[in-house]
Amino acid sequence: MATVREKGYSHWDGRLEERRFPWWPITRTGILLAFRKKRFKFLFAGAFFPAIVALVGLYVSERLEDFKAFIQGSDRLLNIGPQYFAGYFLNDWLLFMILLVLAYGAGGLIADDLKHNSLQLYFSRPLSKKDYLVGKMSVVAFFVLIFTAVPGLILIIFKLIFAGSFKFFLQYPWLPLSVLGYSALLTAFFGFYILLMSALSKNSRYVFVLTFGTYIFSTVLYGILNGIFRTPYMALFSIPANIQQAKAFIFGLKLPHGFPAVWSFAVLTGICALSAFVLGRKTRSVEVIK
Amino acid sequence: MSIEVKDLSFRYGKIVALDGVSTRLGEGAVGLLGPNGAGKSTLLRILLGFLVPERGEGKVLGYDIRRQQAMIRRSVGYMPESDCFIAGMDAVTFTAYFGELSGMPRQEAMKRAHEVLFYVGLGESRYRLLDTYSAGMKQRLKLAQALVHDPKILFLDEPTSNLDPTGRMEVLELIRDISSNKSIQVLLSSHILDDIEALCESVVILKHGRVAAEGRMADLRALDYALYELRVKGEAGAFRKDLEGLGARVDETEDGLIKVYMPEAGDRMDIFRAAARTGVQVRAFVKSRTSLEDLFAGVVGVD
Repeated sequence: MATVREKGYSHWDGRLEERRFPWWPITRTGILLAFRKKRFKFLFAGAFFPAIVALVGLYVSERLEDFKAFIQGSDRLLNIGPQYFAGYFLNDWLLFMILLVLAYGAGGLIADDLKHNSLQLYFSRPLSKKDYLVGKMSVVAFFVLIFTAVPGLILIIFKLIFAGSFKFFLQYPWLPLSVLGYSALLTAFFGFYILLMSALSKNSRYVFVLTFGTYIFSTVLYGILNGIFRTPYMALFSIPANIQQAKAFIFGLKLPHGFPAVWSFAVLTGICALSAFVLGRKTRSVEVIK
Repeated sequence: MSIEVKDLSFRYGKIVALDGVSTRLGEGAVGLLGPNGAGKSTLLRILLGFLVPERGEGKVLGYDIRRQQAMIRRSVGYMPESDCFIAGMDAVTFTAYFGELSGMPRQEAMKRAHEVLFYVGLGESRYRLLDTYSAGMKQRLKLAQALVHDPKILFLDEPTSNLDPTGRMEVLELIRDISSNKSIQVLLSSHILDDIEALCESVVILKHGRVAAEGRMADLRALDYALYELRVKGEAGAFRKDLEGLGARVDETEDGLIKVYMPEAGDRMDIFRAAARTGVQVRAFVKSRTSLEDLFAGVVGVD
């Protein structure tokens, strides 16, 4: 260890600024720290696989003549419309990869701060609890949006470029809004869900297990309850089923479960509200033991 | 006065942590002394706005502790008692990060982080991951993050805990340098009397959430009582009771040395009179210079 004061202390002559977005350094650092994790870059890249496949599909759909030998009569699969985009957003691989990226890269957002007692360092700065949580949630938002809204909008743009006309856009003018709306829904839900899981443990490995466990358990529970009660309302217990229902509503498709989509929105909102309550309780500058 | 509190009260559930604390702290290094559970850390946390007092009011650098917490936190550097860091970061990123969160521009924060890390003696290890730091290095790192935005006041909560003797001396040297040469006021909370005695010009002693004594160190040593150290032959029990009946506090060390804290109004001859009454011989008698330890024992009641 070097000796004390080898260079000497001097006062800083700058002026502390009052930031418009005081949470931004938290977001930036959270994203950078995620990329420093081993194997995270591979996961991140892997999550773009569905977008690449969808892009190839778009290209092929506009060049059916060129690819006739390959697709052999399955051109109906490449019938591009809202269903195609909704299909991109709810293919199992994408949701699985988003969850994997978030559980691995963002699971420690609050858990690590709790484990290493760093909340008190944050709150000894001119930061409010809201700033802290917004900063952390923006990390989740970054990863969700980069796999949903960004590829979704790029796919629409490429569809127009490949088609060489605005016909598709004029046919479905609301599609970009649906893409943005659904991305916003996923961002809000996963933002609260991941932070809730992260705040429930001080160990990011437990958070990883908890995140996946809860997600999968909800579907298993739906299967069991549906087997017993034989009513579509049991799908309300499943997180993926509620997301499916909300997605179908946003893209104007037939609802996959036999109940109004508002119920699914209510369940997802309820989870977010519960998360907000728990986060408010768990993120304190001082751990008060009564 | 840079820190001023009036009638501050706070409780954790049913446990009273602070009970009507009023004090005014001036320039230089001020010690916040008291046994574990006296309310030292609670007071620091209230001053930082981490906890909202049940009753009372206070100001730090003229900013209200209830309403202007952001301004206080901008001007205060806080070094917490427990180990705290962010996993996966190196020291320079960590220090610059908290500088930026304090409101420093990013480039400035990074530049300043290098300076401060050199100052606390972590210059050579500033690119090492914090997960690999020793307890002493983490302690210095906490000091670095508290200094990075060049605060006007430093709140140091048990800054020498978990340190070996060499590390402790080095951290104390740093704090002394900061408080004496760098025009930064230091509020040092500790239960280690030597640390306070070595660094602070004035002290506030807390006991059960109340201010037991406060003032300049030199004044406090002379305050309220005179300390006599004596050895006796005979039944010391009755002798002690007699002295306590006169309002003196009497402590006996393991090797039989009796310390008598006589009230200011008391007379040293009362000790001899008590000895005569209880039939003990006084074999040694010295008027002792009171140390902070004696003061602490006198007001807090622990040796």
